[in-house]
Amino acid sequence: MNDFFSTTILIATVASGIRLATPFLLASLGEALGQRSGVLNLGVDGVMLMGAFVAYFVVLKTGNPLIGAAAGILLGMVFGLVYAFITVNLHAEQGVSGIGIYLFGLGMSDLLFQKLVGTPLPIMPFPEIHIPLLADIPIIGPMLFTHSLIVYVAFLLVPAFTLLLNSTTYGMNIRAVGENPAAVDSLGVSVTKVRYSAIIIGNGLAGLAGAALAIELGIFQHNLTNSMGFIAIALVYFGAWRPFGVMAGSLIFGMVAAIVLQGKTLGIIPRSASDLAAMAPAVITIFALVLVANRFKQPAALSKPYERGR
Amino acid sequence: MEQKTAPVLEMRNITKRFPGVIANDNISLTLHRGEVHSLLGENGAGKSTLMNILYGLQQPDSGGIWMHGKPVRLQSPADAIKHGIGMIHQHFMLVPSLTVAENVALGLRSKRHPLTNLKTVAHRIQELSEKYRLQVDPNAYVWQLAVGERQRVEIIKALYRDASILILDEPTAVLTPPEVDDLFVTFQQMAANGRSMIFISHKLHEVLQLSDRITVLRHGRITGETFPQETDRRQLAQMMVGREVQMAPNKSEVRPGSVMLDIEGLFAPGDRGGDAVRNLRLQVKSGEIVGIAGVSGNGQRELAEAISGLRKPRAGKVQINGTVLRTSCPKSARKAGLAYVPEERMRDGAIGDFNIKENLILLDHGDTKFCRPSGMLRFAKIKEHCNRLVDEFNVKTPDLETPTKHLSGGNIQKLILARELSGNPKVLIAAQPTRGVDIGAAEYIHKRLADERTRGTATVVISEDLDEIMALSDRIAVMYEGEIMGIVERDNASREEIGLMMAGVQRLNAA
Amino acid sequence: MNPVRTLKKALIAAATVALCLSSGNLFAAGKVLKVAIIAPSASNDLAFTQSIVEGINAIKAERELDVAITDGTFVVEDAAAAIRDYAAKGYDLVIAHGSQYGGSLKEIAKDFPKTAFAWGTSADTFGMPNVSSYEAHSEEGGYVMGMMAAALSKSGSIGVVGPIEVGDAKLYVDGFVAGAKAQKADIKTNVNYIGSFSDVALAAEAARAHLAVGSDVLTGTAQMVVGAVGVAKTKKAAWFGTQANQTVLAPEIVVACQVYKWEVILKQILADMDQGVLGGKKYAISLANNGLVIEFNDKYELPADVKTIGMDAITAIKEGKITVLK
Repeated sequence: MNDFFSTTILIATVASGIRLATPFLLASLGEALGQRSGVLNLGVDGVMLMGAFVAYFVVLKTGNPLIGAAAGILLGMVFGLVYAFITVNLHAEQGVSGIGIYLFGLGMSDLLFQKLVGTPLPIMPFPEIHIPLLADIPIIGPMLFTHSLIVYVAFLLVPAFTLLLNSTTYGMNIRAVGENPAAVDSLGVSVTKVRYSAIIIGNGLAGLAGAALAIELGIFQHNLTNSMGFIAIALVYFGAWRPFGVMAGSLIFGMVAAIVLQGKTLGIIPRSASDLAAMAPAVITIFALVLVANRFKQPAALSKPYERGR
Repeated sequence: MEQKTAPVLEMRNITKRFPGVIANDNISLTLHRGEVHSLLGENGAGKSTLMNILYGLQQPDSGGIWMHGKPVRLQSPADAIKHGIGMIHQHFMLVPSLTVAENVALGLRSKRHPLTNLKTVAHRIQELSEKYRLQVDPNAYVWQLAVGERQRVEIIKALYRDASILILDEPTAVLTPPEVDDLFVTFQQMAANGRSMIFISHKLHEVLQLSDRITVLRHGRITGETFPQETDRRQLAQMMVGREVQMAPNKSEVRPGSVMLDIEGLFAPGDRGGDAVRNLRLQVKSGEIVGIAGVSGNGQRELAEAISGLRKPRAGKVQINGTVLRTSCPKSARKAGLAYVPEERMRDGAIGDFNIKENLILLDHGDTKFCRPSGMLRFAKIKEHCNRLVDEFNVKTPDLETPTKHLSGGNIQKLILARELSGNPKVLIAAQPTRGVDIGAAEYIHKRLADERTRGTATVVISEDLDEIMALSDRIAVMYEGEIMGIVERDNASREEIGLMMAGVQRLNAA
Repeated sequence: MNPVRTLKKALIAAATVALCLSSGNLFAAGKVLKVAIIAPSASNDLAFTQSIVEGINAIKAERELDVAITDGTFVVEDAAAAIRDYAAKGYDLVIAHGSQYGGSLKEIAKDFPKTAFAWGTSADTFGMPNVSSYEAHSEEGGYVMGMMAAALSKSGSIGVVGPIEVGDAKLYVDGFVAGAKAQKADIKTNVNYIGSFSDVALAAEAARAHLAVGSDVLTGTAQMVVGAVGVAKTKKAAWFGTQANQTVLAPEIVVACQVYKWEVILKQILADMDQGVLGGKKYAISLANNGLVIEFNDKYELPADVKTIGMDAITAIKEGKITVLK
């Protein structure tokens, strides 16, 4: 029992939780941005898978994880462009369109993998970056400041998005479009432009989330994301569409998973309870979601296509 | 009132077609500096299309717009705003989750771009609100504001952009009479400052009160242009409808009978918690119409829902014809003899995708009249029944198979009324019976309500339209914040007194 | 005399009595058998699915077969649809490669009495004449590698990443742990069933958790372990693989892999079908019948004494001197 509380284990568990939380955080931040503009994207997981494959493939060919991550983002943005066209211009039903994107991503990423790669070959993961000075702080240092670049990027995006949403004209436009697009339209702001940009950035992040996963793991496989994208959507609701809320949700999910893993490794969680414990992150997140969800309202125009004069 | 100066705005020969209809047929309109020009017409007359064209939301098929003698192209609201046109929309164009200052700042280029500059905006809002007596807190969230305050925010939005031409699309629809008076003072001050306004309304007395000039539209065409001092309500109504209109139904002498609807100590919760209806007591007798006046949102909807069993009251009881209704049980209310014409007719009153026939038998499709013991519907009987109702209630529809959502508001309302009255109810609750309904249909609906009164139905008419309440009621109850402020006999009622009760300023001891 | 010929003659005689004879008995007519495989993950998952695909490919090198593969059917309903589809299309042998497909197979096999079905890993034929089951005694290879792992470990702690504690994974892990204990009684074996066959990220973190508590030799089973192999590689921990040869993932740390040679039992099944037997039999691959093979990675500098421990264990199991998990 004492093992669990030794510093090494504590550091390893927290660091593990942060790593596990990272792809969720990236994907949910992107989804939150899109939803703030009133567009629901259930296709996150598909975009993540495509981003994961493209990043994996690019790293496999170039050996450079940074180019791979950039390719993941770019791929996500292309998907964003398509999704924006479907939902903003064609006014398609967003739930179904999103599922379409998901299924496309799920199938296409695997098909491309089979055709272009075949047998899974390992790729070069991101190196760990020890941040000077900060990494030397006892306990906190190795927990928080010895991660790969993508982890820092994900967590730095949280304050950046908060600033973007709350203190910029663009952020105000996004929030307004998500609540009452007609009002924004009547003031001469293009609802189309605002939604397009939010969806493209959001999907870019989903692409990055997938890339982060593939590059961190150094591998690609059929359905690599294992439906993380859907959990990311739930975390957006959990986080009440606020970047810090989304971060809290991702961290809870990641930490619970890490604690359960560590508990099983040390034998604290008996093997008979192993499968039940594996459900813990999802169950705890659902409970938290139920507690939080009713306090905040979703963007009023969420998943409603905007047509002038309707 | 000839104007010598060049008009600030001219819309020339505007034509706009939609599939199957000509919304605007060769319409020309001028507006002078400092003028209030009213645009009067029924729903579907083409007012909104014309204004959407002026605000850049729609493009005309032919015709053009001139400002200060020069042609302009208005392809989006941004263009319109650039040319000094502002629009106060009937449905507020506000974002509830943003503050007043943020709402005003939307779409404006910030001096600290890309960051927002809300302090400066708030400061300027303060100045405008003092100048035009438009009291509003720039840092309040819009969702915290009352309806009247939201209206002021809309006006400030336009003034902030220094609009010299304001389109006012039914700005008084949701205001109490005292608020309307205040608003008109503001409008007159704005006109005095050289701003011009296009005022859209179907409330005739407001149009007569505020306008310098009145243009009437019907079926997409101009049917007349006149000045308030040269016309009256009857004449305006005739121009709108195209025939003589009876402003109030003939009511026969009826002596009210026994109490049919008896509400005692009723408390009903609102959608957001709290009590929307508070300790309400009301009795309605057979052969009597009681009008419930009040600005919407003061508990009227919750009251109607509590009576009809759609909302569970927190306390109190409702009796119909001596039967105490089970709470939140619409069936028991229906059984006791209640008919209900709900305020949201497309949400609560009819199913848009169902056809006429299906909507007409929604209440009693399970009845042995229409349904065999096996559960199969008797289509022949149903058809016969529906044909009779459609004829009797003058529902204009191609056939019984037409989806209800394709009918006009007035015809849908007649259809709902036909269904509700076909069971010969003892008590009728009619909420906003003519809102958004054309004058012809409204006239017909009023006539039917008067007929029901003669037949001996105890009727409650809930309406925000004081004219309607005055025209129909035997007694008028005024609701404010869930309570009845007072009940007056129609014959002793004055608009002023009712207005003060609607605003919650004055309370009568219930008669 | 060739038994096939005998049968053929017998059949020709029987055909005069009944024109419509079961197609099963007509296999011997020399026609090319149609074989379908339904498997849960990708054909190149370096694990369970790849093993059966390689098995059938090995047979194709010897005899002509018409093979169809439907992979990636994580969803049992999808697999069931594919199983039924192949049976209806007239495939002679339909292989449902996943213990989770058993329930569906039991229902479907009833409707196609003339089609041969095989499923695994399992030892249950449902008592049906056209269903055979197959399994792998993966505990045997697990035991061998467990012994080597214990001998190799300097920290005295070994980590195991498993999916869900069922079927083939459980056999392998239990065998591995038993082998490790047999080699070194005080060895610490941390077993972590992560609760998923597909969560690669979680498998990776599970490997990290093992490393954090000081394990220096790792193993794992099922297709999500590719994530764990990656982690082991960055931390230079030794890796033992199973189900397929995983050396390609990390040549510098993979010590040895237990490889499944399903062709051994596939050959038996096809031979039995040639005899007109459609099912009712249980097959198993083991070290003894060379259906299980321990493949060493030549690039890994395995101390000779450790390798000897492994080789001796293989021989002992083959000769029945050691019985694992009995």
